[in-house]
Amino acid sequence: MTAETLLARLADETTIAIDELLAASGLAGEELAELVEFGALEPAGATWTFSTRALVAARRAARLRDDFGLNAPGMALALAYLERIDALERRLRELECQLPGWEA
Amino acid sequence: MKYKDYYATLGVPRDAAADDIKKSYRKLARKYHPDVSKERDAEERFKEVQVAYDTLSDPEKRAAYDQLGQHRPGEDFRPPPGWERQFRFEQGNLDDFDLADLFEHFGGGGFRSQGARRGGTGGFAMPGQDYEVTAHLTLEELHRGAEVSLDVAAPERTPRGTIQRAPRTVRIRVPKGATDGERLRVAGRGGPGVGSGPAGDLYLNIALRPHPRYRTSGHDLYLELPVTPWEAVLGAEIEVPTLDGRVKVAVRPGSRAGQKLRLAGKGLPKPREGHGDLYCVLQVVTPAVLSDRERQLYEELGRLSGFNPRGHLE
Repeated sequence: MTAETLLARLADETTIAIDELLAASGLAGEELAELVEFGALEPAGATWTFSTRALVAARRAARLRDDFGLNAPGMALALAYLERIDALERRLRELECQLPGWEA
Repeated sequence: MKYKDYYATLGVPRDAAADDIKKSYRKLARKYHPDVSKERDAEERFKEVQVAYDTLSDPEKRAAYDQLGQHRPGEDFRPPPGWERQFRFEQGNLDDFDLADLFEHFGGGGFRSQGARRGGTGGFAMPGQDYEVTAHLTLEELHRGAEVSLDVAAPERTPRGTIQRAPRTVRIRVPKGATDGERLRVAGRGGPGVGSGPAGDLYLNIALRPHPRYRTSGHDLYLELPVTPWEAVLGAEIEVPTLDGRVKVAVRPGSRAGQKLRLAGKGLPKPREGHGDLYCVLQVVTPAVLSDRERQLYEELGRLSGFNPRGHLE
C-alpha cells in the first residue's frame, strides 16, 4: 500500500502531447485529426498539445464510437450536442440558483 | 460464482442471432448510455448491459458462456469440469471472480478499460485499466482544497500472469479550483499495464454535496438573503455569512426582491488565481403573524401611501 498522496490535475491545468492523448483516449490518429478538423476538439496550442478537458472529450468520443458505432463526423456531431447540453445545463443551474425558496 | 443471465439483461432469447443481439444492445445503449441518458441509475444499468454485450457479441465468449448452462440469476454455480481449460482461461482459482471479471480476461487477453481503450492493440502489450472514481466533497472542502482517500478495488494482473482483485487505498489531493462535476485526471495511476503496455489513468469525478446555505454555479456561490419590507424600502446594513467568515453588505434603499448583491471574490477559488463571486439574492419576506400594533402601522401606511405599483396595468 502506498502512503503517498497523488495530485489530481484540473481540466485546464496541464497539457498533454498528442501521443498521450491518443493512448489515454483510445482514439486513432486519423479520428483525432478529423475531430480537430471538424472543430470538435481543439489543440491547446499551435503544436499539437491538448488540455485534460480535451482528453475528457476525446474519451467521450471514443465511448460513443464504441457503443454506438459512430464515425468521426458522427462523433463530432454528438460532441457538439453534448457540449451544448452541458452549456444549457450550466445556464439552467445558474438561473435556478437565483430562484427564491429552494430546498437545500 | 453467482450466475448472471446475460440474455435477459439484453432482452433477447438464448438463440438470438448476432445481429439481434447487436440491435438490442444499441437500443439499450441509447437508453442508458451515461453520455446520453439522464436516468438516475443509467450508469449502473449500462455497465450491466455492456458486460453482457461484451460476452455475447464475441462468438467464443458466447460459446463459453452458453456452456455454463442456464441458472437462476444470482444462483451460486460452478462451471462444468474442464470448462476453464476448454476455453483457455488462465487463472487458476475461479472462486475469486464474478462472471464479468472472468469474461473480461477471457483467453488470457488484457483488460478492457472502461470505455477508452477498447479495440486496443491485442498481443501482449496492453495498456492498464482506467479507473474512474467519484469523490463526494463538501463546499468547504472544495473551498480550501481537500485530500480524499478512495478505495479502488480492481482486478490486477500479478507478475505470474494470474489475475487477482487488489484493493488499494489511494490518497488524492484535489487542488483548489475544482468545481462540481469536474473530471480530474491522475496520469498513470490506473491499473498496471500488461507487458510493455503503459499503466491506465485514474479519473476522479468531483461531486459536490448539497450545502444548506449556498447553491453553486461553477465557481460562483448564491445565497438567498431574506430581508424585511422596511429593510428593502429604507435600506440596511446586513451581516451575511461567507466561506471566509461574516461580512457586512449594504442593502440599498428601494431594493427589490430578486436583486443580486455581488460580493466579489467570495466564491470558490479558481484554478490559477482569483475567486468566483458570492451573490446574495434578495428575498423580501413578510411576517406571517402580526401584532395589533404592527397591523395598525401597516393599515396606516396603506392609507397614507400614494404608491401605485399597478399604474401600467390600468
